[in-house]
Amino acid sequence: MPLQLAAAFLGTAAFALLFYVPARHYLSCGLTGALGWGCYLALQPALSAPEAAFCAAALTALLSRVFAIREKCPVTAFLISGILPLVPGAGIYWTTYFMLTGQSAEALRRGVETGKIAAAMVLAIVLVFELPQGLFRVFGRRARP
Amino acid sequence: MKQDRSEALEIAVYAGIILLQSGAEIFRVDETVERITRAYGVESCSSFVLSSGLFTTAGNQQEEYFAKVRHVPLSGARLDKVEAVNELSREIARGQHTPQQALEQLRQIDTMPRRPAPARLAASGLGSACFCLMFGGSLPDAFGSFWAGLLLYLWLMAVEDKKLSKITTTLLGSAAATLACLLLFRLGVGQDLNQMVIGSIVPLLPGLPFTIAIRDIADGDYIAGSVRMLDALLVALCIGGGVVLVYTFYYRLTGGWF
Repeated sequence: MPLQLAAAFLGTAAFALLFYVPARHYLSCGLTGALGWGCYLALQPALSAPEAAFCAAALTALLSRVFAIREKCPVTAFLISGILPLVPGAGIYWTTYFMLTGQSAEALRRGVETGKIAAAMVLAIVLVFELPQGLFRVFGRRARP
Repeated sequence: MKQDRSEALEIAVYAGIILLQSGAEIFRVDETVERITRAYGVESCSSFVLSSGLFTTAGNQQEEYFAKVRHVPLSGARLDKVEAVNELSREIARGQHTPQQALEQLRQIDTMPRRPAPARLAASGLGSACFCLMFGGSLPDAFGSFWAGLLLYLWLMAVEDKKLSKITTTLLGSAAATLACLLLFRLGVGQDLNQMVIGSIVPLLPGLPFTIAIRDIADGDYIAGSVRMLDALLVALCIGGGVVLVYTFYYRLTGGWF
């Protein structure tokens, strides 16, 4: 688990660089990614993958909004890098792999699950972004006099 | 005064185009165009923004008529530009820039240099290795993913200024990453080929179009959102296609799965 979180932190920060997020936000991007992935892993034993992805994506979106206010930067910077660990890349791979090796039933199962995870993430992000901006104001840093 | 108005609109459209090209949401483009035109005293401006184009008009009894339509091709993420334009538009709204200064600043933002190639290559490799570990790969697998991810980015960098379609870029990129993993695996690097490939295709994943699409659709910008969602879906299909391409060839050449 600690190795996983460290990998999520580093991986997310590395992709933040590729998305040209300004360097001073790397730390927050890494944190968003690591906490989101940590949430996903922690819920995995109890919940199904789409349910865990829903909770993790909601946490990622919340954190992104908090960081966006704190660091006065468009929310996209944190959301796009932070959500990347949850994007079902492995699901895409396994679906094609099973299709290719002729295991159609397994391919269908994986494909449907990948779609469900993506749908869960959509739902989570939409819900969190419907929250009024005022709720997040408390996280803003007061301007220095 | 007349000159000023059309200049203000030029600036607003320029800012909007930079945002749109760099991966901003539709509402942000809309908001920025309005913020800038209002700051320079144009009241009658209205704009219609799609993910691939920007239409702006202004004019009423008091103000002269102005229209501008610009086509904006879909391109990659430049969040540094999004942040810079966002900041600049707020400064303009606070009255800190004359139109000439604002235009000069926008030109500077538009030509912001890319990050140095070695840093991006290393980041792509590191990112692939980390994601390989996260999805259950072992350290040797991650080592293989690192090199495949780096090689994949070399390909992406080679074509980034060429007019190659996204479909071709992704398909061939995914195939190159898979091939690199396959060769490394045959040379004895890594324990699980699947995990290596999963890690190495991460730089291609459509995280940006997917996320922006969701936000656009949630904001009611259905057309822009659908275009981006289609983009994300096609990229995902192409990633799968690249893997299939290489594996099938391998199967036909050797008569067995790895």
